[in-house]
Amino acid sequence: MAMTRTFKVGDEIPSLTKTMTQEAINLFEKSGGATGPSQFTDTETARHTLGTHSTVASGRMSLTFAIELLRRYFGADIYNRGGIVDLRFLRPVRPGDSITFTGKVTGITKEANGQRVSVEVSAKNQKGDTTAAGGGSCLVPSGYFPPEE
Amino acid sequence: MAQTQTEDKRKLLDWDKLEIGEKLPSFSYVLTQEMIDEYRKGVMDPEAGFPTISHKVDVRPYQSVYRDNGSVNARCAFHCYNSPIAGKRITVQAWIADKYARRGKNYIVTEAVSVDEDGRLLDRVITHELKQPNEVGKKWQ
Repeated sequence: MAMTRTFKVGDEIPSLTKTMTQEAINLFEKSGGATGPSQFTDTETARHTLGTHSTVASGRMSLTFAIELLRRYFGADIYNRGGIVDLRFLRPVRPGDSITFTGKVTGITKEANGQRVSVEVSAKNQKGDTTAAGGGSCLVPSGYFPPEE
Repeated sequence: MAQTQTEDKRKLLDWDKLEIGEKLPSFSYVLTQEMIDEYRKGVMDPEAGFPTISHKVDVRPYQSVYRDNGSVNARCAFHCYNSPIAGKRITVQAWIADKYARRGKNYIVTEAVSVDEDGRLLDRVITHELKQPNEVGKKWQ
């Protein structure tokens, strides 16, 4: 029997902080089969393509961190089977940056096979600048909620 | 001296002519345990369930068809359905989902779904790419 869960609009999601390194970026790119220099792995390519002084992390790394934030909150058994995240990338994330992801429950709606819990998500760097913002949701099966009165 | 450089046969992107709904070439790959381990180390999360994210499976088929000046990921959405399993062959179908111009900049939206060899739907990814990547350096050097 699944453990019951309760969600309320306004609930804060425990934050998640990640410190970006060039090694982490390189591993992420390599794991996806990327070979050769790119704006993520090579300073010269980043300067040529983006006009930046340094490499940047793929937005998909921030996407992955947002998924981790929500998976920890909802539980892998639920989130990995019905989770969504949607982020806009507002500022580059670079090696050395420390990024903190936060979130809040914004809505709960009934669906045919459970309740969809919607959240807002944002990410800020060590300077307090927002690097990404957006939202997500998770379809929580009815069996995880306490029985209705 | 012999020339070893191969000719780039990809089409040069003509944003105006790009058709929404265009199917991009389907492809498949085997997700290895090594890929999963590297991904988890890179994202500093030993339980990360969707190593498919780093494969950029929506933009990779686009790049196999079109050449352009590069791009920047402006927005990305990811739908989790089932975590992929090491050793399984994954088939990807991607397409051009949308395109739009905003504040004088051009965007292309690609979308892809991944299914494994057992027919399990794994994930769906939707990416908005800004096709003028040097805009990043103009704002944030």
